[in-house]
Amino acid sequence: MSLFSAISISASGMEAQRSRAELITENLANADTTRTPEGGPYKRKDAVFTATPVSYSFADQLSMVSGQSDGVAMSDVAVDDSDPERRYMPGHPDADAEGYVAFPKINTAEEMVDLLSASRSYQANVAAFTAVKDMIARSIDLFR
Amino acid sequence: MPVNQTGMDLGNFLSYLSQRQEVISSNIANADTPGYKTRDVEMPISFSAEFQEARATVVGAPGLVTRNDGNNVSIDREARLLAENTLKFNVAAQSLRAQLKNLRSAIEEGRAS
Amino acid sequence: MNVSLSSIVPIPVPAVPGFGASSSGGDFASAVSSAMNQVENAQQTAQTATMNLLAHGQGDVHTVALATQHAELSLELFQQVRNKFVSAYQEIMKMPM
Repeated sequence: MSLFSAISISASGMEAQRSRAELITENLANADTTRTPEGGPYKRKDAVFTATPVSYSFADQLSMVSGQSDGVAMSDVAVDDSDPERRYMPGHPDADAEGYVAFPKINTAEEMVDLLSASRSYQANVAAFTAVKDMIARSIDLFR
Repeated sequence: MPVNQTGMDLGNFLSYLSQRQEVISSNIANADTPGYKTRDVEMPISFSAEFQEARATVVGAPGLVTRNDGNNVSIDREARLLAENTLKFNVAAQSLRAQLKNLRSAIEEGRAS
Repeated sequence: MNVSLSSIVPIPVPAVPGFGASSSGGDFASAVSSAMNQVENAQQTAQTATMNLLAHGQGDVHTVALATQHAELSLELFQQVRNKFVSAYQEIMKMPM
């Protein structure tokens, strides 16, 4: 039970980090987006993680046995609603009356560092996942 | 030693390692979760029969630094524990296999030809 | 030479692992049935543990493996001891009286 639960926990970690990486790449891709369907520039998105209990394989719907540890889930996407960065660019199609254009508040270097962190965390979860798979295989060896 | 008792100690040790592994995986998965505190399991005093079926208590881990977002998971600690746990599990599982093999040999050795 | 049957003392059952030490010193039939119960219990435990894991996700693989091995070895031991007793019995029956 514990090992199967550990597999699900690591899988949830991988999924959460992947979602986080997707948000970061969206931020990077839209670092210069001044026009969105909602009006105004693109707003930076941030992943919000919460520790969440996970169910795991073999558990039937009735018993819903869960392990005693939590996995993780991206429970929310935090949108940066603060004032956008304003740059003086008269003649730009999206310039306002004073000639300022509103740009997303995205620091590309920061986003890259964040992406690296997400990638490392993802790999750590993969390492745990692989280790547990190996332990289960060794347990199955005990049958012989 | 009765047949049914063979390997119980090692079996209980494997259960303890499995529970610890679950907690280690949880720490790794929540390494970036705000407010999450590192968890561990208490090592039982003995692994003889009384331990069976009892789930070890989940405790906190001492000596960890808490960062700005309230998270105190040290990925280095978890990586080290992951390696240790895997090795111990391998050793225990192999020992158990050897014990069972010996028992089987002892039983079958007296077989009348 | 007078040898009466009553002078043949029954051989006490040795404390064989798996045959229940509680019945030492006497009743062969109860020793056998006690051993059979143990084998039966071991089989039952293994069966329950297996189904609990596969159908309900309860328990660990190594626990089920250990229970299964115990059941198998208990049965194996029982069979070996039974075979020994049967061949001993046959030896005795071959003795000319």
